[in-house]
Amino acid sequence: MRSLTHYRGAFRAAGVAAAAALLLAACAPGGNSEAGPVPSKPVSTGIGTEPVTLKLLVTSGVDVPFYTALGKLFHAKYSNVTVKVESQDYATLTTTIARTLAGDNVPDLVRVPQLGNLTKDHLLISLDPYAEAYGWNDWPQSQFASTRVGPDGRQRGAGSLYAAGAGFGLTGVYYNKALAQRIGMTRPPATVAEFEQLLAKAKDAGLQPIMTNGKDGGSVYPLQNLAMSYAGDAQAVQDWNYTKPGASIDTAATVKAATTLQRWGQAGYLPAGVNDIDQTRAPAEFIKGNGVFFPSGNWQAPGLDKTGSGQFGFLLFPPGVAGGPSYAMTAAANLGIPAKSPHADVAAAFLDFVQTDQQARQETVTLGGLVPAGPSDAPAPTAPEGSAVAATVSAFQELLKNNGLVGFMADATASIHVNSLIPQTQLLLAGKTTPEAFAPKVQSDYERDLGR
Amino acid sequence: MIAASRPRGDAVPSVRRRSWSALLWVAPAFATYGVFVLFPMLQSVQYSFYDWDGIGPATPAGLDNWKAIFTQPELLQSVVNAFVLVIFYTVLPVGLGLVAASFIRELKPGAFSTTARVLLFVPQVLPLVAAGIAWTWMYSSDGLVNQVLRAVGLDRYTRAWLGDFTFALPAVGVIGVWVMLGFCTVLLLAGIGKIDPALYEAARLDGAGTVREFFAVTLPGLRRELVVCTTFTIIAALASFDVVQIATQGGPGYQTMVPGVQIYRLTFLQQHVGQASALAVFLAVLVLLVIWPIQRLGRQR
Repeated sequence: MRSLTHYRGAFRAAGVAAAAALLLAACAPGGNSEAGPVPSKPVSTGIGTEPVTLKLLVTSGVDVPFYTALGKLFHAKYSNVTVKVESQDYATLTTTIARTLAGDNVPDLVRVPQLGNLTKDHLLISLDPYAEAYGWNDWPQSQFASTRVGPDGRQRGAGSLYAAGAGFGLTGVYYNKALAQRIGMTRPPATVAEFEQLLAKAKDAGLQPIMTNGKDGGSVYPLQNLAMSYAGDAQAVQDWNYTKPGASIDTAATVKAATTLQRWGQAGYLPAGVNDIDQTRAPAEFIKGNGVFFPSGNWQAPGLDKTGSGQFGFLLFPPGVAGGPSYAMTAAANLGIPAKSPHADVAAAFLDFVQTDQQARQETVTLGGLVPAGPSDAPAPTAPEGSAVAATVSAFQELLKNNGLVGFMADATASIHVNSLIPQTQLLLAGKTTPEAFAPKVQSDYERDLGR
Repeated sequence: MIAASRPRGDAVPSVRRRSWSALLWVAPAFATYGVFVLFPMLQSVQYSFYDWDGIGPATPAGLDNWKAIFTQPELLQSVVNAFVLVIFYTVLPVGLGLVAASFIRELKPGAFSTTARVLLFVPQVLPLVAAGIAWTWMYSSDGLVNQVLRAVGLDRYTRAWLGDFTFALPAVGVIGVWVMLGFCTVLLLAGIGKIDPALYEAARLDGAGTVREFFAVTLPGLRRELVVCTTFTIIAALASFDVVQIATQGGPGYQTMVPGVQIYRLTFLQQHVGQASALAVFLAVLVLLVIWPIQRLGRQR
């Protein structure tokens, strides 16, 4: 009893401390709601002569040698600028970028996986003055659409420019040339129906028709491609990606696409255990010859060329009807300038450089595995004849002209990919959901993400 | 004698003084605890009533974040999955651990019993991420598990275990059994070592067999160790994150989604710090509610 009274005081003190903490916590969390956009400084296209260290924060992997090479080229032109490349893996960067940019030690250029709340929280500067100063506004504008953000800080596709990049990713379908020949493919399929006939032939020949990674979202590519091909138009999907008010993916084309994909799964066109194959295993299996077709992106092209130069081709996903428009998913390797960067002018100069300098554009293809866009009259980089890289570069040029570049549905909201598209496609392929339930479910998840 | 002659009231201030000086000694530890444990906990509770992206201004959200836990099927399902994992993280390892510890006790101390102990404990030494990666390989279509099945002619049972809707969660659970079994065995073995050998001798003299001996002597003698094992493993199950994030990322579908992964995604990917905090607080309360009766059980004599 005595010990209890003895400590009662301590308990009381703890109670008081807890109450104080609670009182302290009573004010709302978060930044200053009054914080507005950073006042725009006068911009300059000059580099100056002062020694500057330009800090780049990019994703680890091929990005590091790629941006290091670009940095060297930039240094060769402007000797007072030293480019320092730091890296974080993609998933880590995605999760830490907001905190990094809000902190004290900010990079001068950062690889922006997703714009998310970065513009709303005023962590990136608007590139509009630089676009004006460097004449980016005279280039084909579809290359900048995905990084324009409207005044509400959310809707993309129009508004202020917040990021630009050296090159673009591009999706399509790789094919194993030897196996394609065995099933009698002499030219790229002209329609989805023709593609399906090839898949059936491959199955009959005892080959694995398609290799794809269902574990982490590879199977979402053909789904989006099918939806766009069936619609014969990508505007609905593009509006959806840019979160335009009223945009819906719950369309007849999506249901038809989901039906087709499910049928492919049931017919054995997709690999057994597709939901367990991840993005490292799928290309490895494809290289081994397990799969006639491999729907993926141009980031795979350098790897495929390295292991089997000339063995793999690349074609755009076929349209719904013969002669119809072809579409591909694209995403720029975007770099943004943090609001706290002291070297915004130099960073902008670097951005302009990587898009326009001929040597930098060549490195973008060779080292980055990406296709540069830039001004319409800029010469396309070269790649060895018959290589997968060359095929992706020419496909990109064609799509850029025909307005066939569409964003990834996976990028519509921060979590639509992991929380909805991947699990729902897995359910679809396992026969645990129906195409008719799939489309509205993805749509409702999307609306919940957007708070609509 | 001197103390006895003093008026009784004098004793009180001396106790008071002592209690205040004690507080002084406790203060540094308490301050640290308050700043790094209590305050963040309270903050989480507070965040759960806001809509906040972690950087910008927060807006009060009332009970919306809390309602979502019970109305969004995926969030609730993740909690249910966590309880399924309790079977694999707690029930099986503690059960098997008891059996293993009893057997190892029977063994004469020597190379074999040491080896057995080390082998069982090794998974506990490995980081869970490494365990997750290793098991992902073993479970893949051409992995060890399927190779073994093929070798013994059970080809039709082979599958991509982590991609299979029926078997993904149990497959993740087996990783948990593998990790937790060693911990439980070693702890229970230490507990058995503390049981008075005279009790075993008495049981033998009374004619008890191995089974009877286990229930009459070993099990009651291990009450405290069992409580520690159960508590630790239940927390590991309900708050699991690493293995699931590495092995399945919650898939296929939502089959292996657990609250830990949801909280991570909500915070860092979706930047819904409020919703994440609500789920985290809910999970913490849930863990406490489950642990509480077990702790009581341990104290009863």
